[in-house]
Amino acid sequence: MAEQAPRLAMRGISKSFGAVRAIRSAEISIQAGRVHALVGENGAGKSTMIKILSGVEQADTGTIEFDGAPVTIAGTGDAIALGIATVYQEPQLFPELTVSENIFTGREIRKGGRVAWAEQNAKVVELLELLGLPARYATVPVGELSIAAQQQVSIAKSLAGDAKVLILDEPSAILTDAEIEVLFTVVRRLTAAGVAVIYISHRLDELFRIADEVTVMRDGRTIGTFPIGDLDVRRIAELMVGGILSDERPHREIPDGDPVLVLDGLGRAGKFHDVAVEVRAGEIVCLYGLVGSGVSEIAACVYGIDRPTSGRMLLRGRPIAPRSPQQAQRNGIALLPANRKVEGMFSFQSIAFNISAGHLKLLSRLGLLVDRARERSVAQDLIKRLAVRTPHERQPISAMSGGNAQKVVLARQLVERPEVLVLAEPTQGVDVGAKEEIHRIITELAESGTAVLVVTSDLPEALRIADRLLVVRGGTTTVEFGPDATQVDVLAAAAGAVEEDVA
Amino acid sequence: MTVTEERAPVRSRSRILPAPVTGQELVLIGVIAVIWAVLAFRTPAFLTAGSIQPLLVATAPIALIGVGMTIVIITGGIDVSVGGAIMVCSVLTAKQLVAGLSAPVAVLLAVVVGGVLGLVNGLLIAYGRVHAIIITFGTANLFLFLGLQLFGSRTVNGIPATFEIFGRGDEGRTLGIPHAFAITVLITALAWWYLRHTAGGRHFYAIGGDAHAARLAGVRVQRRVLLAYLLTGLLVGLGSCFVIAQGTSTLDQSVGTGKELAVIAAVVIGGTSIMGGRGSVLGTLLGALLVQSVTSGVTQLGWSSQLSDLFVGVFIVVAVGTDLLRARTRRTR
Repeated sequence: MAEQAPRLAMRGISKSFGAVRAIRSAEISIQAGRVHALVGENGAGKSTMIKILSGVEQADTGTIEFDGAPVTIAGTGDAIALGIATVYQEPQLFPELTVSENIFTGREIRKGGRVAWAEQNAKVVELLELLGLPARYATVPVGELSIAAQQQVSIAKSLAGDAKVLILDEPSAILTDAEIEVLFTVVRRLTAAGVAVIYISHRLDELFRIADEVTVMRDGRTIGTFPIGDLDVRRIAELMVGGILSDERPHREIPDGDPVLVLDGLGRAGKFHDVAVEVRAGEIVCLYGLVGSGVSEIAACVYGIDRPTSGRMLLRGRPIAPRSPQQAQRNGIALLPANRKVEGMFSFQSIAFNISAGHLKLLSRLGLLVDRARERSVAQDLIKRLAVRTPHERQPISAMSGGNAQKVVLARQLVERPEVLVLAEPTQGVDVGAKEEIHRIITELAESGTAVLVVTSDLPEALRIADRLLVVRGGTTTVEFGPDATQVDVLAAAAGAVEEDVA
Repeated sequence: MTVTEERAPVRSRSRILPAPVTGQELVLIGVIAVIWAVLAFRTPAFLTAGSIQPLLVATAPIALIGVGMTIVIITGGIDVSVGGAIMVCSVLTAKQLVAGLSAPVAVLLAVVVGGVLGLVNGLLIAYGRVHAIIITFGTANLFLFLGLQLFGSRTVNGIPATFEIFGRGDEGRTLGIPHAFAITVLITALAWWYLRHTAGGRHFYAIGGDAHAARLAGVRVQRRVLLAYLLTGLLVGLGSCFVIAQGTSTLDQSVGTGKELAVIAAVVIGGTSIMGGRGSVLGTLLGALLVQSVTSGVTQLGWSSQLSDLFVGVFIVVAVGTDLLRARTRRTR
């Protein structure tokens, strides 16, 4: 594939942020008209590669060639001028401006000093149709759209310029299957027109539907580039973690006993109804449902973010009605929120602070002063136990990758072993290695007697850790599976193919 | 990529942009109308030109500087140094007027001095990466010190009527319309068009919405931010000429005091979000008019002047409350 000069080539790239060597040595070469997947664990250096390409950061060493000619990308303007368009993981949009304005910000169509609204709008309507979005979105402020629609708007935004290289940074993380299909159609149309696409995703299975080549990164290095035909999911995962993944699922004995946490006919008007769940000490129960099934709304109620309108929640037989996450925690339920960036972290504080927050009583002397030495030793201990990758415990959490940040938030719950742990989407946006570690921690907690309720829309995850798996469909719990359920059975039940035999 | 060119432009231009006048601005017009009606009912003299004209003249400097402040707040910043900047510009210009400077040169001097002060704010905020409130709080004190040094613990006396063209008197009006107010309306209209219809204007909103995203989109964020404070400074310069024109032949150390709060109040009451990303200079003009109407109304009714502070306070709380509620309902969507 390498006779003609690649559209884009990066050679000998390295980049450090302070003491952290984000990229040690990276090489990548991307051909026009191909989809090139870039995979690696969180913290492997993918995001930094993207930042260098899009001009947000500059490499310390190395060269970038565009169509065979060396180029300098000193700022975002340079990247845009070369035709390198990036769709970031989190939509980079302006909530108060309309979709049309968002798409053209920075490259407005001007006519006599003013913006040619009509022309812009006509183009936007075409782009929206291409992405299967209603044309009326063009004049709607972006802040009024759903997150998924916002993501599609950011893709439309990147297509509005004459993109020669399109970088998609985990575009599918927040899209439904139908929306992903639309995205793939668009990607194929673009590659047919000669656009080179760099595709980053944690959903390795989808690479086989879209990618031509795969470059694997590990610990700041590019391990190699492989044609997709030479790989399978397992092989990619092994390359990413640098070892062989165990698929062994140790069989666990679930102790008998009274349920610790019971949801008894829980419902919230318009969201879900008659949800019945029992979790015993030492047991891991998963609530699994597709996006829109109501599964995430159930979690919000257990967390005390929303209030149920019917039914009861019982903790050790006592009815509880948490009105806030703080109350839920005071009731003895440890929580790991799904949206860790908003709900879970003190971004600018150190890892140690993030771990000890909420346990200051335990860590303080005479109930007054925080024992810094103890805080540090607890943090160091947990960092080691959870294999969090960081130079030291005083690093601010905002400087960490998603998977490592999630581990820190989880670590907070582990300072004192909780009696009940509720996790919503514990590994969303987290790489394979970190996922496995998080699963291991959850299992360890259950083994030491914690009752664990996991709410997830990630089926392999549910199958991997659940002792019992309850499928949520149409706003209520339907079928129950044991630990040996198959992916096909559960998915069929969630999608509505199986008769309801458990009410 | 290039998109296929088969579709003709849909829908008329009027529907592409949001309505030119927002709901909040219509409410403001209504509130002003009610206040004027009540005042006219209680003191029949109110609706005469002799009463309205001074009101418009008094509104002008606040509304004018408010144009710059609106742009600053749209970018997500704030400028609390305008009070101090007004003092520096006024005292410097007033002293030159005493020395016999002509009106056009004096206006130019005031505008240039204001521009320099705005440039100082802008450079520090755009390139210093410290929040605007901290920077301008610092420069506010700096400007105040500078202003008081220029006064030299004396008032400026014997200012000639060079600026009467901007004043309350007959010289300050054409066809009954005060020049100061007309200039303010003109500049507001220009700014309204600029913010609404040019790429540069829309970029202020983008920066206030998400500065990082704006940078990624290729907007030159630092340059835009610098421009916002520079514009505010230039308008402070012109506004200072209005302030001198409204005063007597004596300028004392109280000039400019508290004006930053009056300007910010006008902007916030006008519907500009203090969180950035949304706002309009038309709203600011109405906000300034409302504040001034309340102030002169309270005076005309013979009430305690503290009541006008109360009313303005209530308007600010209502305006900010509406803004927060709006942001909250959107977030929970």
